[in-house]
Amino acid sequence: MTILKVHHLWFEYDTGPVLKDVSLTASPGMVSGLLGPNASGKTTLFKCMNGILHPQAGRVCISGKPVTAIHRKDLAQIMAVVPQQTGAIFSFTARQMVVMAKASGLAMWQRPSKTDFAGAEKVLDEIGAGELAHRMFNDLSGGEKQMVLFARALFQCPQVLLLDEPTAHLDFKNQHLILDRVRNVTREKNLTTIITLHDPNLATRYCDDIVMLKRGEVCGHGPVRDVLNEDTIESVYGIKVLVKGSHRCNRLVIPRTNAAGDVLF
Amino acid sequence: MKYRLLYSACLLCLLLAALLALITGKYPMTPGILVRLCLSALGYKQVGFDLAGPALVLWSVRLPRILMAVLVGAGLSVSGAMFQGLFKNPLVSPGILGVSSGANFGAAIGLLFFSGSVWAIQASAFIWGLIAVGLTCQIGRRGDRSITTLVLAGVIVSALFMAGLSYIKCKADPLGQLPAIVFWTMGSFNSVSWTDVAFGGGLIAAGLLACRAMSWGLNPLSLGEEEALALGLNVAARRAVYILLATLMVSAATAPCGTIGWVGLLIPHMARIFTGAEHDRLIPVCAVLGAIFMLVVDTLARTLPGGEVPVGILTAFIGAPCFGILLIRNKTTIWNNH
Repeated sequence: MTILKVHHLWFEYDTGPVLKDVSLTASPGMVSGLLGPNASGKTTLFKCMNGILHPQAGRVCISGKPVTAIHRKDLAQIMAVVPQQTGAIFSFTARQMVVMAKASGLAMWQRPSKTDFAGAEKVLDEIGAGELAHRMFNDLSGGEKQMVLFARALFQCPQVLLLDEPTAHLDFKNQHLILDRVRNVTREKNLTTIITLHDPNLATRYCDDIVMLKRGEVCGHGPVRDVLNEDTIESVYGIKVLVKGSHRCNRLVIPRTNAAGDVLF
Repeated sequence: MKYRLLYSACLLCLLLAALLALITGKYPMTPGILVRLCLSALGYKQVGFDLAGPALVLWSVRLPRILMAVLVGAGLSVSGAMFQGLFKNPLVSPGILGVSSGANFGAAIGLLFFSGSVWAIQASAFIWGLIAVGLTCQIGRRGDRSITTLVLAGVIVSALFMAGLSYIKCKADPLGQLPAIVFWTMGSFNSVSWTDVAFGGGLIAAGLLACRAMSWGLNPLSLGEEEALALGLNVAARRAVYILLATLMVSAATAPCGTIGWVGLLIPHMARIFTGAEHDRLIPVCAVLGAIFMLVVDTLARTLPGGEVPVGILTAFIGAPCFGILLIRNKTTIWNNH
């Protein structure tokens, strides 16, 4: 059982504190959604979770062990990250991108084996993106790129999966496609998945747990039903909303409007 | 399969270019004489031919020069490809990052103070090359970390070391050292000896082999620091190894042959058209293409009418317009991403 726990995390840049006493827990087999307005500290929290940034106080633990105490190489085999956009500017094929998941296990003078490449293609197949294997990554659409990066993360065989705004820049269908796959894989492989999202409707539909962040502070943590209510959304985002429906598949968050049709803030 | 074919074709071209380079030049050398030389070297006496002259030209002038051109071309191209991958930036090269001018400055210092020792010149070129690339990285890092800042940082560092070199030039002995330094900064294989091939060439060859062994590892690094970290790599250590290796090859080329620009920028681009960015394939093809390019340009440099031209001038004449064309054609892919 890999539980990810954040204990009283403080993080400051030169410009001031970004995370103030953030605590949360994410459990296996569950998709935890991280929601909050722009500049609420989501990305910083993510970077603290995967040990790229070192918090000034508090810590992030996986199964009781602080991530900053885990060697990068070992951490990559426990935790995988799907970045919002990849830095790849050179043209790799999709399978070459996916096989890079094996990099942490290879010394500088080694390269992936035929079995690794076969494994990479299998993972692409499993998430229904097998036909992308030999296409050039840079020529893929936003949704297809996101699928390839997701496949690469899965090929790391992680226990914890972090996805940074996987639906940004995606069209309507692709948003649902990727989140559906993420949720299914989380259940199948019993992963601890944390995902940042902007749309409360997508969060309602695909997340089990929600963490709401506002200016670096947690202002709601728990099951979707309890957290994503009219009051919390209004206080976090500063927009008046109406929450309709009771089941996750028909629950909708709708902005309130006045008689003239203007949204109420 | 397609890749094997491509690579074999490149090797074949290199072989043909080398043969062509052997029989062209001021001293007449026909394929017939070449064959006879080979036969006599194998122990078959060639009666009625005076082979002493051709043997001397071939052994002490053309052969070391051709070998050096092949190694320097390969080394500069591969180090260019490595730098481009490491900085995930197709616009950098040893020249643009300041490595070349740093190594140049270092070699000039070596020439001035330890003119007798090949090793001292090599070591000085290597150390100053490293200092230059270190400075460029630091300025780029402390700036906004964009492609533009890194390139500008390289321009600044290059300018600094160029000024240093000019200072050395104006203080050098105008009769002995100055002409040597000036001719050598233009980049030339004119004075290459077997000692240079053994020292500089040997270092480049070792660097090429090491780089071949570690070429796949450049792939994850070329995705950028954060992604490579998340993939579990010790980015700082790996980067340092590759930078050391690339700088070693550049300085090993610069110390005996001077500054030969544009090869490290242009050839990786050409190679990438054939192989894509996968460094395991890119690096070998890059090495062979660079060798062919350098060999052809050097053969041109020594056979053009009107006497020998420093090869660095020719590579710039060819490289600059070619890169201009590449930039215009690739405008969407080069600048769009940081």
